[in-house]
Amino acid sequence: MSCTLENIIMDFPGTRALNNVSAEFRFDEVHGLIGENGAGKSTFVNVLGGSLRPTSGQIAVDRRPVSLDTPRAALGYGIAHVSQEGSLVPGLTGAENILLGAEPRSAGGVLRSRALARRAEELVRHWFPGLSLPLDRPVGELPMADQKVIEIVRALRGDIRLLILDEPTATLEAREKRQLWSIIRSLPQRGVGVVLISHFLSEVRDLSDRITVLRDGMHVATLQAKEATEAQLVDLMLRREGAAGLAVKAQAQTRAAGAAVLRVQNWVVGGVTVPEFTLRAGEVVGMIGLTSAGHFGFARSLYTRQGVTSGRIEVAGRPVDGGGVRAMQRSGVALVPDHRMENALSAAGSVLENLSMVHADTAARGGILSRRAERAEAGRIIRLLNIKTPGDGQLIRNLSGGNKQKVSIGKWLYGAGDRYRVLIFIEPTEGVDIGAKQEIYAHIQRLAAGGAGIIIASSDLIEIAQVCDVAVPFVHGCPGSPIPASEFSEARFIAAISGEAA
Amino acid sequence: MTIDTDIPAPARGTASPTKGRGDWLQRYSTLGVLVLMFLGFSLFVDRFLTPLNLSNIFQQIAILTIVGCGLTFGFAAKEIDLSVGYTVGLSGILVPLLLTLDWPLAAAIGAGLLAGIVVGLINGLLVTKVGIPSLIATLATGSILFGVNFLLTGGRAIYGGLPQSYLDLGQGNVFGIPTLAIFMLGSALVAWFVMDRTVFGRYIYAVGGNRKAAELSGLPITFYRMAALVIVSLFAVVAGALLAARLGSGQPNVGERYLLDGLATVFIGMTMFRPGTATVAGTFCGALFIGVINNGLNLVGLDTYVQNIVKGVIILVAVAIVSRTTKLSIL
Repeated sequence: MSCTLENIIMDFPGTRALNNVSAEFRFDEVHGLIGENGAGKSTFVNVLGGSLRPTSGQIAVDRRPVSLDTPRAALGYGIAHVSQEGSLVPGLTGAENILLGAEPRSAGGVLRSRALARRAEELVRHWFPGLSLPLDRPVGELPMADQKVIEIVRALRGDIRLLILDEPTATLEAREKRQLWSIIRSLPQRGVGVVLISHFLSEVRDLSDRITVLRDGMHVATLQAKEATEAQLVDLMLRREGAAGLAVKAQAQTRAAGAAVLRVQNWVVGGVTVPEFTLRAGEVVGMIGLTSAGHFGFARSLYTRQGVTSGRIEVAGRPVDGGGVRAMQRSGVALVPDHRMENALSAAGSVLENLSMVHADTAARGGILSRRAERAEAGRIIRLLNIKTPGDGQLIRNLSGGNKQKVSIGKWLYGAGDRYRVLIFIEPTEGVDIGAKQEIYAHIQRLAAGGAGIIIASSDLIEIAQVCDVAVPFVHGCPGSPIPASEFSEARFIAAISGEAA
Repeated sequence: MTIDTDIPAPARGTASPTKGRGDWLQRYSTLGVLVLMFLGFSLFVDRFLTPLNLSNIFQQIAILTIVGCGLTFGFAAKEIDLSVGYTVGLSGILVPLLLTLDWPLAAAIGAGLLAGIVVGLINGLLVTKVGIPSLIATLATGSILFGVNFLLTGGRAIYGGLPQSYLDLGQGNVFGIPTLAIFMLGSALVAWFVMDRTVFGRYIYAVGGNRKAAELSGLPITFYRMAALVIVSLFAVVAGALLAARLGSGQPNVGERYLLDGLATVFIGMTMFRPGTATVAGTFCGALFIGVINNGLNLVGLDTYVQNIVKGVIILVAVAIVSRTTKLSIL
């Protein structure tokens, strides 16, 4: 009694999302599926749930080959998918949502609302006796946990033998999680296997019978949950072949610690609380962690102030009160964000227009641009960062990833002098080729040597090891004790971000 | 924790940084069609290529061009203004109305400009502070203005008693050049200069090109979005005042057609020079395009209703071309 996927290959334009992945999901187990973002988890379960048709590979249910070309086909074989985003109609009641598309009707096609309520009630009682849900209220008004359970009941309403749960607890509070955990644990005994995707490793380890680890679209290991330690799982998720052991930084860069350029106290953002953090001139601080550890959110919040509920921030010794992005930018903080095409660049704009997005006025007098001055300044940045473009009029969308990223950095250099004392980089080399990567690292070092303080939040541990003077590991929203460059090693990083005190 | 939603983007941006021939073709194909159309009408329609008729074309598109120049600012900032036709109507009533009440010309026109600023500010506040998408907010304010226009006039035209100095703005000549053509060229030049040669214009494009990026760059995006909508209305009230001067009367329902035609000029313009981006030069050519079609089809003797159909098809083709290159998201 199982569903097996063999040698699944999934190609998207320009990238192979799944490369020969095989797995067996039994109908009497909870099977954890883990991996970093981009490892291929969602793609894999979309193949299993019939939302994606693989480029090649075999799928079998109870050893009989099947094709799961549509979600409906997958449902026909008893496979249901509860996606991460939620698929309830907020304005309909719980009962209406549970029986959406399968409402009891009388002969003339009229809805039988009392029968509907009763039928939904029965389904909930059948699967989760003892659980009380307000099924007569619009689900949009219910707590997230109840919504999740309603989605699960709806998924179970057919003859289901395998239930895919994609990050079911991501939006839940601790107490709500516990309720959902017991629901998940109860399913295998009822003849329903569970495929569980979650970023919370402890949760996956506690709930699962077996765990499959994916990395970069490949199957890394399938192991018994009881025998796996969290550190071992993190290691399997992150370790990259060909980078055996991070090269400890060649020159231990112990620059003379400069003055503090950024200091925060009691910074509370999202689920993260940072009692104290200081960045000094000339320092490059890395922030590392698993995907949901909060290091990205913290780094970003130092510029955007988004979601910051309390805290005090000082730039170069002066407190910055109130205001959002603009206040931070004016006080000399810059952000080179991740997802540059969404957050940093205008695709239809030219190289020049993008470079001058922050300080166009540098090449203007009385608000009127000087063509010559701005071309000169753009040319300086293009040479400084070695941006490969036929000219400053080239449209951004025609540049390669590395050159786009250089423009995203160049925005903060164009006409800025040394105004920016703090530069925050989020995933600075996301989608950047190796050559451009090294150039970007070199430039980050140059900025630091010039007296700026640098923060790099990255999921690329090799990058952190190569560029940073110190790395701060985040675990469950808390920064741990900083790791100095002299102690950089892959093992040390992995132990630190999986929460094992070193 | 919902802050981290980092999905790496595999294989982004591998396009080669070269301009191909297809690119060139796309930039200038609409312009080519315009030239062909012009040549075609010149060859096959007797009265087309005469100084008088060409001067007519310019007079016919003058007001449209001014409206289009304003809309270009809106589109550059990714804001659309569907109330623009009724804003044209508003000043086309208000200015003559005040003149019949014996206001001095400058004061009447000043009041028209002020009305434009007020309409633009209301649109801007609805869009930025209340957070209604401009498509919907301006649909509603347009409906309100439509009502206001009829209330102001009681549904009747305002004519008689308009000073000659006012009528000259829309009907006169300076050194043999129609004043309307001068206003048109002046408006287009000012719009081009501001959009292309000032920091303000650069940031309008930045906010429209990627609002999130502009915001994270520290730009005051609310200011630029509001400013864009105020400028749309300002150009519209200038157009309206000139329109009434040209017609010699203030009429409550003449502004409406400048909404559709104005949008059409911008859309056609967005297919040229910088496909997907609203430019003043493009809008100017778009207005010429519409002027040449209207005029040529008129001379051929085609019915106005048929002209509307032809125009609609051309707008669709233009928008289809633009949508193929860029997401045309103005909501």
